[in-house]
Amino acid sequence: MTSVASKRLFQEYKHLTQDPPEGITAGPVTEDDLFVWEALIEGPEGTPFEGGIFPAELKFPKDYPLMPPTMRFTCDIWHPNDDPNHYEHASERWSPIQSVEKILISVMSMLAEPNDESPANVDAARMWRERRPDFERKVKADVRRALGL
Amino acid sequence: MAEQTLNIPQLIAVVLVGFLAIRWFLSPASPNQNASSRNAGRQVNPAHVEQIAQMFPQLDRRAIVWDLLRNGGSLQATTERLLSGRSLDTRQPPTSFQPPIPLSTAPTASTSTTPKPSAAHPDLITRYNLSSKITTPPSTPGASDVTSSSVESKPGWSANRNERAEILKRRREEMVLAARRKMEEKDRKAQSAA
Repeated sequence: MTSVASKRLFQEYKHLTQDPPEGITAGPVTEDDLFVWEALIEGPEGTPFEGGIFPAELKFPKDYPLMPPTMRFTCDIWHPNDDPNHYEHASERWSPIQSVEKILISVMSMLAEPNDESPANVDAARMWRERRPDFERKVKADVRRALGL
Repeated sequence: MAEQTLNIPQLIAVVLVGFLAIRWFLSPASPNQNASSRNAGRQVNPAHVEQIAQMFPQLDRRAIVWDLLRNGGSLQATTERLLSGRSLDTRQPPTSFQPPIPLSTAPTASTSTTPKPSAAHPDLITRYNLSSKITTPPSTPGASDVTSSSVESKPGWSANRNERAEILKRRREEMVLAARRKMEEKDRKAQSAA
């Protein structure tokens, strides 16, 4: 079982290296453990996250791809759908034909279009809804700080 | 006469009863504590609560105290349960449970949470150790072109695992540096426009 998961993860790693989707870099932290990945996601254009790079950690279960990985941003990200401590990829929508690439792309689009219905960060959600200019200012400040500017 | 005043035995009886009553009301503090600490320390060590709260800042202190109380104040047991991914949610404390949350937590929490985010998440330049690779483009716009074109020739997949790790590392670094360059470029444009 583990070898199935490892093989699959290795294939995905190869694919993501040879043909990386725009704005995404992802791979295992070390090849000694293919079940822990680090991903960098670029903030989508036309959003306050534009220009930002958001690192995240992905942890895969031993029975991947039957079960989805969990993902956690390892940076300060002010977003209605980001729990400051944990972001679980919606497991109810998971199916084994999904992939790391699809997860990361859907996270990217989540950045662009927050899902207001299930806020994980209630404060961020409220700010996003009620004080959009403040929200955008804060996000932009975080983006700059993350780049060391 | 005898019916109006208290005689000596009655007086003694009243004093005795009064004394016992007062003792009854005043004493519960100490014997009761002893009674409730029978399951290995009802007193939760505030230091333990603080320690767990720092490891798992998302947890409610009340829930931590509750969990510690239930496992007899074992810091290790609580930590292990949390680390194994089980939350404390299933053992939600009843609403009636309002422990005296250690006073020390208020000041330490405020001091430890403010610097914490920055300590936990350093900026990407620090994180990937890129300070030496930051080109200083303000005066030399050509410099950034050189770096970006030299990186353009990025190899794809390699059969060698060390090379693969190196490629991935370089791609990550380049992504961060490129984003930074872009942001600086934008700043410069904004400045010159102003």
